[in-house]
Amino acid sequence: MRMSRRAATATAALVTSLLTLTACGAADGSGGADSASGKVEGEVTFQTWNLRAHFKDYFEGIIADFEEKHPDAKIKWVDQPAEGYPEKLSSDAAGGTLPDVVNASPDLVYPLAKAGMALDLEKAAGKYREEYLDEAWQSNQMPGMPGVYAFPWYLNTGPMFYNKHLFRKAGLDPEKPPTTYDQLFKDAVSMARKSDRKIAMLASTPSIEDFGRYGVRLMNARGTEFTFNEPKGVELLRHYKELYAAGALDSQALTAKAESSGRKFQQQSVAMNPGSALDLETFKKEAPSLYKNIGITDTVNNTGRANMYVQGLMVNAQSNVKPAAVAFAHFVTNKKNQMAFAKQVTIFPSTKGSLDDPYFTEEDGTDATRVRVASAKSLKNAVNYTPVLLSDQMKTVLRNAVAKALQGEQSPKAALDGAVAECNRLLKTG
Amino acid sequence: MSDTTSRSGVSPGAPRPEHTDAPVPAGTASPPSEPVRRRARAAPGIRTHLPSSPWLFLAPGLLIVGGFSLYPFLSTVVNSFTDARTLTEGQFVGGTNYQELVHDAMFWTGLRNSLLYVLGVVPPLVILPLLLAILVQRHLPGIAFFRAAFYTPVVASVVVVGLIWVWLLDDRGLINALLEAVGVGTVGFLSDPWLLLLSAMAVTVWKGLGYYMIIYLAALANVPRELHEACAVDGAGAVRRFLTVTVPAVRSTMVLVAALSSVSAFKVFSEVYLMAGPTGGPGGEDTTLVMLVQQVGTGLSGRVGYASALSVVVFVITLGLMLLVLRANRKKEDEA
Repeated sequence: MRMSRRAATATAALVTSLLTLTACGAADGSGGADSASGKVEGEVTFQTWNLRAHFKDYFEGIIADFEEKHPDAKIKWVDQPAEGYPEKLSSDAAGGTLPDVVNASPDLVYPLAKAGMALDLEKAAGKYREEYLDEAWQSNQMPGMPGVYAFPWYLNTGPMFYNKHLFRKAGLDPEKPPTTYDQLFKDAVSMARKSDRKIAMLASTPSIEDFGRYGVRLMNARGTEFTFNEPKGVELLRHYKELYAAGALDSQALTAKAESSGRKFQQQSVAMNPGSALDLETFKKEAPSLYKNIGITDTVNNTGRANMYVQGLMVNAQSNVKPAAVAFAHFVTNKKNQMAFAKQVTIFPSTKGSLDDPYFTEEDGTDATRVRVASAKSLKNAVNYTPVLLSDQMKTVLRNAVAKALQGEQSPKAALDGAVAECNRLLKTG
Repeated sequence: MSDTTSRSGVSPGAPRPEHTDAPVPAGTASPPSEPVRRRARAAPGIRTHLPSSPWLFLAPGLLIVGGFSLYPFLSTVVNSFTDARTLTEGQFVGGTNYQELVHDAMFWTGLRNSLLYVLGVVPPLVILPLLLAILVQRHLPGIAFFRAAFYTPVVASVVVVGLIWVWLLDDRGLINALLEAVGVGTVGFLSDPWLLLLSAMAVTVWKGLGYYMIIYLAALANVPRELHEACAVDGAGAVRRFLTVTVPAVRSTMVLVAALSSVSAFKVFSEVYLMAGPTGGPGGEDTTLVMLVQQVGTGLSGRVGYASALSVVVFVITLGLMLLVLRANRKKEDEA
């Protein structure tokens, strides 16, 4: 087989470039000893998730206080950007460079705990348990594993923002946003009709949290199987299919990301969008005409319980400075430091008694305070609807099934049955 | 490696052959003249016959290729036979991953989209840059500006390019606003699965035009002007000259462009990821094979074993595609 020289050169170059396809190593997941007793000393690497830009002074203050209290300990603070955080954690974990104290949500802690990389705090720091809200402490329990694998840190629950001007235009009462799912669906269809499909009520398709809020049982009691294909789940999807057909869901909802949904809301082509108190500042700066018409309400639910987002501090089980790492993780999440953090930004402490502070119960008439007080109230009995066992791949499976149902490629029941079967299969292979 | 001085047939201390002007029979190499041989001798103190010398020169390159290309590739192949996850060593599972892959609907969707991408992107990327190169080949005042302008998308970051096109093609973007204005109505460039794939292809073509144009410009510079002049004397028009002179002259470059663009089209990720979102369009309908590798193989629960099996399949198909293009070229050469 003769080949021209140029072709041969091209072949060689191309084969070389082809060889650079993905390759990842796997780490050995042997857990370390759960001993955190001993002298608080050594250098602790502390990793936060996109917090340096806004809260540099706060964290530097905490670090200085801790180092003053423990002169033999030193804290090295690193911060990672919001984008690609799970990927960064996985490369660190696989490469054996996981920091000693890591900021992570329960769904990120689960795979690390399963691989033996998260310290069991029931054993190592059980004495601190009573300082935290029970639900918050339990949020880092992992299905099928004894123990708790992260200190609870700050809590959040997103209010729902709505555009009063668009409500008015659609003939809806801007002072009476929907409080039940039935009302939400009815208002959404009416808005799409009135605006000739130009204004959608919602920008995205239902996620696992929405199924939870609607009252769908997401998993069986033992956490061994997903169950969101039960009749209530099918009912929710049927409603969303009607919304999509009526133009009450944004036309690009099937491929929406949080960022694109937020953009649509700012462009005032979508009337309602979940958010946090941080968004208010953004609206003020970037969309003043929207800010003038902003309404804030609770996210609707059928369960009487809002969704709670939990952030935690995980201690690396393979850390060489475990006593110092545990001491520092506890120090950051103690009542005093969490309260100080809550005064910097609208987040909520996970320590007992903190939410009864007047700061979270008394309004002063401003929007920000209203959001804070309303959110704190709803957090009292909130739950984290997202199952920690739901991996990113499973989330994609659910999203694709929802899209197929909304486009009419499959019936809502068939789509959810398929998604549950696939998620259960992935659960078993995990 | 053997010693060159001993191979010359002249051992140190042997009587030197006398210089002669006798003609040398054809086909025999004349022995090197004395001054040349003396120059060829090593400078004192330097060893010229270290057997490992060539390997020492090759070592840096070999280390880089071995460490960053060959080793990851081989470990991908090994991993594809295990159930490895991001954080756990895998157990050997034989061909289970490959069996699963055959029954995975998303794999077939990904394969379909990747092949469609090749079919949709390669012909325009072979032909359009050639026409563009012919256009900017002329030495006209200000032509450098146009060459630079056509090359700009190549140097622009793919993420920036992707985001700009997303804003342009959005249901409420500039292009749809214009279509609305002329009464066409909104076109779902980013919400219809097929239009999404076509939009991503268009962006890939738009971004690649300048790159391949430069390759063609280099090839066109080697086409003798006399051929064009002779053709023109024979009465051939511009189209005829293009078909009979330009195309045959740059045919091997066209093959190279086809091979390069088909490989990169089959491995497309960025454009589709940016325009169709992380799920790969509505219901994952626009997922490509490389996107699927990313979806299943990354994150804390990434299925590294399965993603490796997908990667191996991508490698095999890409290699096959490339050989197909090169083989088609050889056939043409043989016919010629």
